[in-house]
Amino acid sequence: MYALEVKNLSKSFDSIKAVDDASFTVPEGSVFGLIGRNGAGKTTTIRMMMNIYIPDSGEVILRGTKIGQEFKDKVGYLPEERGLYKKMKVMDTLLFLAELKGKRGKNIESKALNYLKRFDLAERKNSKLEDLSKGNQQKIQFIAAVLHDPEFLIFDEPFSGLDPINTDLLKDIILEKKEEGKVIILSTHFMEFAEKLSDHIAMIDQGKIILKGSLTGIKSQFAQRNVALEAEGDLSFLDHASFVEKVEYFGNRVGVKVKEASQTQELLKLLVQNDVKVHKFAANEISLHEIFVTVAGKDAKNVK
Amino acid sequence: MLNRRTITIIKRELKVRLFSRTFIIMTLLIPVFMFGILGLQTFLFHYSDTENAFLIVASESQMILDNVQSELLGAPKNKDGNIEFMFEKMNKEKVTIRLNNIRSDILEEKITGLIFIPAEALKNKKVEYYSKNPNNNVLLNKIRPSINQVLTDMYFEERQLSSEELEFAKNNVDFNGFRISSDREIKEEGIGNTILSFLFTFLLYMSLLFTGQMTMSSVIEEKSSKIVEVLLSSVSSKELMTGKIIGTSITALVQMAIWLSPLMVLISTAWFVLPPEFTLKLGMWHLVYFLFNYFIALITFLGLFATVGSIFDNPQDAQSGIWPIMMLIIIPFFIAIGMQTNPENQIARIASFVPFASLIIMPARITLVDIPLLQLILSIAINIAVMIFIFILAGKIYRVGILITGKKPKWSEVVRWFRYNY
Repeated sequence: MYALEVKNLSKSFDSIKAVDDASFTVPEGSVFGLIGRNGAGKTTTIRMMMNIYIPDSGEVILRGTKIGQEFKDKVGYLPEERGLYKKMKVMDTLLFLAELKGKRGKNIESKALNYLKRFDLAERKNSKLEDLSKGNQQKIQFIAAVLHDPEFLIFDEPFSGLDPINTDLLKDIILEKKEEGKVIILSTHFMEFAEKLSDHIAMIDQGKIILKGSLTGIKSQFAQRNVALEAEGDLSFLDHASFVEKVEYFGNRVGVKVKEASQTQELLKLLVQNDVKVHKFAANEISLHEIFVTVAGKDAKNVK
Repeated sequence: MLNRRTITIIKRELKVRLFSRTFIIMTLLIPVFMFGILGLQTFLFHYSDTENAFLIVASESQMILDNVQSELLGAPKNKDGNIEFMFEKMNKEKVTIRLNNIRSDILEEKITGLIFIPAEALKNKKVEYYSKNPNNNVLLNKIRPSINQVLTDMYFEERQLSSEELEFAKNNVDFNGFRISSDREIKEEGIGNTILSFLFTFLLYMSLLFTGQMTMSSVIEEKSSKIVEVLLSSVSSKELMTGKIIGTSITALVQMAIWLSPLMVLISTAWFVLPPEFTLKLGMWHLVYFLFNYFIALITFLGLFATVGSIFDNPQDAQSGIWPIMMLIIIPFFIAIGMQTNPENQIARIASFVPFASLIIMPARITLVDIPLLQLILSIAINIAVMIFIFILAGKIYRVGILITGKKPKWSEVVRWFRYNY
């Protein structure tokens, strides 16, 4: 059962086609990663899913019916470009945003306080937003997105600007929400996060969906004949090896594709022969990053 | 349109604007500012540096000279004005020579000027004034009555007229205005309503500009602080704009009601008795009309100001977009002020039915003259139609504008936004 179906969405601004015939499905209870570089069309797609933009063509189906205003009440949204009323107090802001979603009263207030405690911000509840650090403002924004207990959570680049501790805290809450059966849509250009959290993905590039499906399915589809390698030493000999199809470098990790699946053993032998110190040798494994580069082309390599 | 979400936005606007320290301060400050400006204008108009003015008064006739001397030195106006006089008998040729001698003194302002009253002046009242600054009207206005007095007295003295006859000749006609209105009673007209119409115009003008600017900067703030995207994940752009404009309008309306409350007390009770020349011909319905009209004006103009705010993402750029709207307020303001001398002039009559202008001119006119009910209804109908039109128009630009940041959009792009299917 799909929670959300995105069907043939297109959106142009003047002559620029921001989203071009995008279709994908978000299964119930999944963490869905919408992946692409900056400017690929992620935010425009999300805005159309949120009914902020009206698509030029196509539609978004929520459990069988076309989305409208009622969807907005069921969704918590953390936009990429964060912003809150600077002069408003923390608690007032949270209550105001919850009230816009139709939730009010003592119950919401105590919930807000709980979240603030979790993020170590309880004693700042009467501070003005402008007196908070940028990281703390971001935490408030995150609380605002989850406070009304929405069925759908849409996070656009949720981890940018957060320190490792708070990144973990955020991840915990996201996984918690997943446990509760909420549908979570993560939009990010950080492949690493998407890989760790999502179970379904859609890759978007230049407004087009270039790959979609479950993460395990996609990985097994791309992982054949692929070796993820972490090693020390000169690896230039790999370029001349007859059974190697392609070598790609991702920082300290190297992706090697052999011509036939059986040749991974030969690769290991060759590495040992050439005195390479192997730290990690994982056959039939590929990172999302590598998949993205394979699909989106060479120029996508600078994506983290 | 007034659903739960819009009401939540309105509530926040009221919380931020109406129940804030700024509201109290502005409510007190705007009248102070307003009267301050009026006072300053009056002060500057009448202020002139006549201190230590030094004038030479010359004439060929000793008699004129003597009379002018006693009149000038006796006039109470000149006693505190610090004008010093020197009286010299000379004819025209001597004046030329004298002027040559004192040229440098005049240029250095040691001598302010020389007034030459020829004997001819008794017939034609032509007097010559030589100075570095011959257009100093404040100085001349102080002296003119005295010289006029002397010349007039001397002229009529030869004709053997009594001082009463002279006094009568000198007096101007004094008009006493009586207003004929539909309620059959003929009442003597004071200047109370003129003052009031001036006050209404000024209040409308100031508060529309203030509230407009405030709305615009709050839209820009929402846009530049990016909170607008969070808001739009809960409400539609129309609900957001409606809530904002209604919230701000209610605040402004309450403020206006506070300013008008002394008037309400004045009209509805007999606690204060005004001197007859200030008596107000004003009913409670005038005030109700005024507030109602103000509310329409607010929605109309705030719609425009919010639109401009949504187009730009910083106040500097927005200034370039705001002047056409300011003109829509400023030009009617001048028409309304100019109308005080004759509320039935053709421009004012027409302008009170012209969109936008009507909102500012009609309330001023209605305080000065009786407007037929049909005309009043017509003007209200026009204003409401314009308000609805502007509101729809504003909504179309607003929904696109608030999500666009970055470079300043061209007007041609803004026009294209109408067609966008947002």
